[in-house]
Amino acid sequence: MVLEFLRRGSNDGGFDHIVAKAVSMLGDARHSFDLATLALLTDSDPTEVSEDIWATDRRINEAEQQLRAELIVHVAVHGTADIGSVMGFTLLLKKIERIGDQAKNILEIAENGPGLSDAVRNDDLRTERQTVSAMFAEAGELLGDADASEAAVDDFAERAHVMTTDLQNRIDELMNSDRPGREVIPLAFYHRFVRRIVANLAGVVRTSAEPVHHLDEVDDTDD
Amino acid sequence: MSSRQLRTTELPTAVRAIVVLGLIYLFLIGVSSLETGIKIMGEDTQERLFSAASNPVAALCIGVLGTVLVQSSSASTSIIVGLVASGAIGVDGAVPMIMGANIGTTVTNTLVSLGHIRQSNEFRRAFAAATVHDFFNVLAVAILLPIELLFGTISGIAQWISERLVGAEGTEWKSPVKAWVKEPVSVLQDLWESFGSSNTLHGILMVVTGLVIVLSALTLITRNMRTLVADQVERSVNALLSRGGGAIALLLGLVITIAVQSSSITTSILIPLAGAGVISLRNAYPVTLGANVGTTITALLASLAASSPEALTVALAHTTFNVAGILLLYVLPFFRDVPIRAAELLADTAVERRSSAVAYVAFVFIVLPLIGVVVLG
Repeated sequence: MVLEFLRRGSNDGGFDHIVAKAVSMLGDARHSFDLATLALLTDSDPTEVSEDIWATDRRINEAEQQLRAELIVHVAVHGTADIGSVMGFTLLLKKIERIGDQAKNILEIAENGPGLSDAVRNDDLRTERQTVSAMFAEAGELLGDADASEAAVDDFAERAHVMTTDLQNRIDELMNSDRPGREVIPLAFYHRFVRRIVANLAGVVRTSAEPVHHLDEVDDTDD
Repeated sequence: MSSRQLRTTELPTAVRAIVVLGLIYLFLIGVSSLETGIKIMGEDTQERLFSAASNPVAALCIGVLGTVLVQSSSASTSIIVGLVASGAIGVDGAVPMIMGANIGTTVTNTLVSLGHIRQSNEFRRAFAAATVHDFFNVLAVAILLPIELLFGTISGIAQWISERLVGAEGTEWKSPVKAWVKEPVSVLQDLWESFGSSNTLHGILMVVTGLVIVLSALTLITRNMRTLVADQVERSVNALLSRGGGAIALLLGLVITIAVQSSSITTSILIPLAGAGVISLRNAYPVTLGANVGTTITALLASLAASSPEALTVALAHTTFNVAGILLLYVLPFFRDVPIRAAELLADTAVERRSSAVAYVAFVFIVLPLIGVVVLG
């Protein structure tokens, strides 16, 4: 670590490293989401992916903890000049950490329920799964690009908003459905967790562009 | 994150580095002016001003108070080096002052820790991390000052090194740095001479000028160096967090402090980290010890602008004292936990009764040294 001191770096006080690590955390969260949804929406055995998802979640949690410590170090060393960015990063890391938890929640539905491989409109669910999975990559790109345009961020946020509204409508529909509980409950839970994941991805992208949101843009997801 | 690109430093690194070199030169001019001013005052004035330093405990208290006043042991020890170089005080009187400066410098991070006073757990950790430095320095003084007074061990070792480097005490040391600063000091001397013929007034003006230059230059050196090495400090502290404490942490504290020329900066960075639970007390402790040794570089630098070997001896005594303290209280396993346990105990008390934390700072850093100076000086 003394050599670490003597080495001259070109990064801007650790933020580049934090962004890179956050993008890697998003990659891990996507991995968990892909595995958990695969277990729920297909006939594959959830126990086969369980260990991988838990290990990935631990990795995400450890990275979040380490980066939070590094942000505190940044403030201790540089003072409060970057406090807006530091607060933004703290929020952003927490959102990624939550996505890891929500992927775990989806795995729990697969482990404890009947699964959704035979659900009505299963093909649509699988398509939606691929769309959400691609949004992880897109969020990572926007997060990693310090010059990301406001239009790109807005476009992502708008698509996320449309998707979360649609998911909420489907949840409301299921809540009032006459179909059997063992059919609608896992589906409603699944929609709920996907909705939260999409909202958190939108939060990550929005926070990367604007560390402290305006009041009218605050994510109202109760996660 | 758009704002992550907004942080800029006003000066390019190369320009800032040149500014720092200029400030170091200014600092050396300040030390030399101080030495010259005291010499001009004459022996009678010197005797009246510095008679209190003849009692070692009073000298210790002067060291504490002086450092608390300027909030920098680098500044106070440089001034002490200047006083020794002028002959106003001897090495025997200066060594306790230097030890006092070591205690006084810990007030800064203790004050920083008081900023966490509203959150119990955070305050407990922050206050313990701050006061472990206090306890180490107080214990080091409690053990090494009597040894120094009885056997002259610290000053003896420093003198032995000094003799090998620049010659025996009482001789004139032709420091090349002294020659570099001679011209600007002469200009200052001529300037103040034109204000009056009294040696005392002339001397006072030179001393005040020297003090202002030393304190301003050191403040600006620290500020600029902090900006210059901030990213390196951040990276190395992150490395410390992932790899733990020990000898490497001690070395890191030493390197950071040499770079920023202030142990207070190094130790104060640790306080919010300790408060947030990011760094443990045991890992923060060796960093503060490294900072103790690192801060002695400033007095060594100041001694280069002095003409007497005694100035270097005192600067080396500062380093020797801190290294001896580490050997005694950190390397020996029996003593290693004593400052940590004492700091934890004090932190528990401070959390239970917050006013005791404020009382502790006032008593240790102001009341006690004041009593020492008034009664023994």
